[in-house]
Amino acid sequence: MKENKSVLRIHRVTILGKRYESAQVQAAVVLLLPTLVAIILLFIAPVVQVVAYSFTNYNLTTGMKSYNGLANYEYLFTDDRFFKAIRNTFSFAALKLVIDTSLALAIALMLDSAIPLKKYLRSAYFAPVVVPVVASSLIWIWFFDPGIGPFNQILTALGLPTSQWLYHESTALLSILMFSIWKGLGYNVVLFLAGLQNIPNSYIEAAQVDGAKPHQVLFMIKLPLLRPIISFVLMIGIINTFKVFAEVNVMTPKGGPLYSTALMVNYIYDTAFTSGKMGRACSASIILFIIIFVLTLVQTKLDARKSISLE
Amino acid sequence: MKKATVFVLMLALSLSLVFAQGSKETVVRPEVVKLQVWYAISGASGEQFLALAKAFDAARSDIELELTYSGSYADTATKVSAALLSGDAPDAAIMAAGQLYTGGRGDYSMEDLVKDPDFNVNDIFKGMLEYGMFEGRIAAVPYGISSQVLYYNKDITDKAGLDLEKNPPATWAQFYQIAKTAMEKGNVNNSADFYGFDTSDGVWLFKSMLGQNGNDVVRKVNDRVQPVFHEASGVEVGTFWKSMIDANLMPAGQHNNAEKKFLAGNLAFIAASSNRVSRWKGNTSFKLGAITMPGFKNRSIALGGNVGVILTDDTFKREASWELLKYLLDEKNHTAFALGTGYLPVRKSAQNSTVVKEALVANPLYKVAFDQLENAWAYFHFSEMGTMDSFFWYALDEIEKNVSTVEVALNKAADSLVKEIE
Amino acid sequence: MAKKIKRTSIPIFLILLFGSLAMIFPFVWMFLSAFKTVPDVYAYPPRWLPSSWEFANYVKVFQMIPFGRYYFNSIFTSTVQTALQLVLSVTAAYALVVLEFPGKKFLYSLIRSTMFVPIVVTLIPLYLMVSKAKMIDTYAGIILPQVFAAFTIFLLVSFFSTIPSVLFDSAKLDGCGYYRILKEVVIPNSKSPISTAMLFSFLGHWKSYTWPLIVTNKATYRTLPIGMKYLVQESSSEYQIMMAASVMAILPVLIVYLFFEKQLVKSITLTGLKA
Repeated sequence: MKENKSVLRIHRVTILGKRYESAQVQAAVVLLLPTLVAIILLFIAPVVQVVAYSFTNYNLTTGMKSYNGLANYEYLFTDDRFFKAIRNTFSFAALKLVIDTSLALAIALMLDSAIPLKKYLRSAYFAPVVVPVVASSLIWIWFFDPGIGPFNQILTALGLPTSQWLYHESTALLSILMFSIWKGLGYNVVLFLAGLQNIPNSYIEAAQVDGAKPHQVLFMIKLPLLRPIISFVLMIGIINTFKVFAEVNVMTPKGGPLYSTALMVNYIYDTAFTSGKMGRACSASIILFIIIFVLTLVQTKLDARKSISLE
Repeated sequence: MKKATVFVLMLALSLSLVFAQGSKETVVRPEVVKLQVWYAISGASGEQFLALAKAFDAARSDIELELTYSGSYADTATKVSAALLSGDAPDAAIMAAGQLYTGGRGDYSMEDLVKDPDFNVNDIFKGMLEYGMFEGRIAAVPYGISSQVLYYNKDITDKAGLDLEKNPPATWAQFYQIAKTAMEKGNVNNSADFYGFDTSDGVWLFKSMLGQNGNDVVRKVNDRVQPVFHEASGVEVGTFWKSMIDANLMPAGQHNNAEKKFLAGNLAFIAASSNRVSRWKGNTSFKLGAITMPGFKNRSIALGGNVGVILTDDTFKREASWELLKYLLDEKNHTAFALGTGYLPVRKSAQNSTVVKEALVANPLYKVAFDQLENAWAYFHFSEMGTMDSFFWYALDEIEKNVSTVEVALNKAADSLVKEIE
Repeated sequence: MAKKIKRTSIPIFLILLFGSLAMIFPFVWMFLSAFKTVPDVYAYPPRWLPSSWEFANYVKVFQMIPFGRYYFNSIFTSTVQTALQLVLSVTAAYALVVLEFPGKKFLYSLIRSTMFVPIVVTLIPLYLMVSKAKMIDTYAGIILPQVFAAFTIFLLVSFFSTIPSVLFDSAKLDGCGYYRILKEVVIPNSKSPISTAMLFSFLGHWKSYTWPLIVTNKATYRTLPIGMKYLVQESSSEYQIMMAASVMAILPVLIVYLFFEKQLVKSITLTGLKA
């Protein structure tokens, strides 16, 4: 590593038509090598294998593995439950995104006002985020128990009708959604709160001097300036929703009543590990990839058109 | 010259050592054979198994066991599948559907092993032996076997004026009436969530009922496994099942919750595994009773539980594993295991042992499970049987929730199964 | 800020307070239930307070599963994973922020796209790879496949971007090479986000379930989340034991969180603003 004695002696190279400082390129290669190796080994290689397996009848139980062309994909496109899983995933994702984002925003806006005990409140909303999913799912199964669980007890005490929670097809997915929102809300709240606290007071004061009422301040100043955070939250939300797995697996092991809670990831897991049909699971995974990819592409394109920078 | 000689001598020496090593390994048994054994039995039953296995380990200085609890039946199956892929599979395992990994991969060596005179294969109940088969051939030995037993809450039946010991139901139709009475008159908790009957394993009960109605579940026709559960005899069973839901005797889609309900005193009757006998003993807030399952045309009982399989290729490890299995299935050992856990004895001779006779007198609940042994059976095991269970689950769900009629649901399951087998 | 909209703040406060109770209610229930007896658990109607305070439940957890071992495994693997992940992420983030090289944009998108891959999908190929390397039932097998996390990289990227370029320029003038800049400019100025990244990473690894489940067969290597799941199978009638185990599993995490809360919040903030 040569020590450059003066600014005038920076060694440059031309790669693919652009000029780079060779010292920087060298350092980059060295520093990024572990990351690159990790990505290749942990992501690229497995994904390539998954694509390859998706064209086979790979079976984990019997060990057989031979090429069967598009048979897996054909099966998937005629499988009721595969489509149910896709539908569940979209319903779940849509609801979770909308509620997570809007509820978190509302809470953040409220937290941003003149109230006592801010620190406690913020901690209370964030605490569920740090808790391990499997442990808390197991606890919530008990909460949801129609007979001995506290939720129904509370409903009865309030004079409301009880619910079957995880045991009825109309409420099962919503129950899991409830858990998922409890778990993830705090993260978004903190993000929005930070964004709100970043808005210079001067903007708000100026508007109020101009006679703006609170809801006008909200819609014309706060929300537009929160745009970048909102789209970040949405992007992370999309990615995370498609990864929801453990709580569904733990709370409704067989896909729930009338297969109403199985998400695509659960379908894939069950196909691969419960039925042993690894080849078919890989095909389903490829379809999942494509869906996630398209969605994030759409979200980025929409975002690019509407962003307003804070600076 | 000297150097070269020394060199050649060294070379010869090392080569001979290498070859000597190689030949040693294939001919002579190592002093101590180390076995990796996984077992999928949890809780108190798991501890009983562990005690037995460790006793074997202590008694045999030439065999060393490494015992690992591998999780639930489902988790164990996943792990064994994965481990077989990578060559890390255990040498022997006590797991559910173990024969999928032996017979399912063409390994029927168990057929020959059981001919061992020490094993006394004729002493094993026919249904139990069937339970260890794959495609009609022995590929595993039965180990932790249970059947479902009809438990009931005596407090509830007393309140409803029923005496199950004097007048036990012999048919499901008779049971239907009894459960109805219990529901109408026996609500000890005055709970709004009170039911007459449920089962913690709907698929298992359904399969039993199929057998009771003369239905074989699946049959092998022209070298192909075909479902028969959607035939008329199966539809009859489904119709009865539905009638219980329609009469509000059994809650729809709540089987996962059945045991909790029963323990809370909100369920009069429950069909649950015989091993609950040990788990629930003394742990219920009410008097616990049990009766044998009623039936349709016959009163047969479908077996469930785990089997012992040998997964290793190594000759010596196979021998050692077989020694272990024989020990575990020895009449005295296995009977003690069964009595301690609520699993069923697999040997006919067990019924004659004094220990058993005393236990039956001491705990009448055990007697119920024992009495069902003669009628125990296992359906034809094949590679898609796990998936078939899933299809049963979905079908029952649809029938109970009134989404499909019984015929439609069963036909759908049959079609799905045929598609999987292809 | 505090002197402004006082008249509307009371109802807002009450709403938030009520909401916060809903958020922490599960913790309270869990804590109380950890002391219950079996009949308490199945009592109908459900009871809130235990009939007697069964500290024995906590002891029972250790009797039913090798809880101590699982705890140790979790601590050990999480710590090592975090340390390794940090090295990986700091070097990567630094390169992405400070250095110019061909393919930078592509690499950035590549790293981003790894976030889309649910682990269920890569599970079997990874498993086969790890077993070929004879790393099943080893700490290395649990740790190594989890050292890469795009989130950590992006977190650090967002903070490294706020380091004033003045510092880099002056370091360059002093004749520092790029490695020295990393060591002497970036790291000293990033103690807070780096320690927060460590915290996030640790939390994530502590919770990780699917991968350790499949890569460990022996109890000696299992981690806490798996142990907890086995507890449920073992004690399906004994929720109170499971609650006791959960309390023990969650408590340290909660304590660490409360301790580091300020740092945590500050770093999430930065990720959001600069993404």
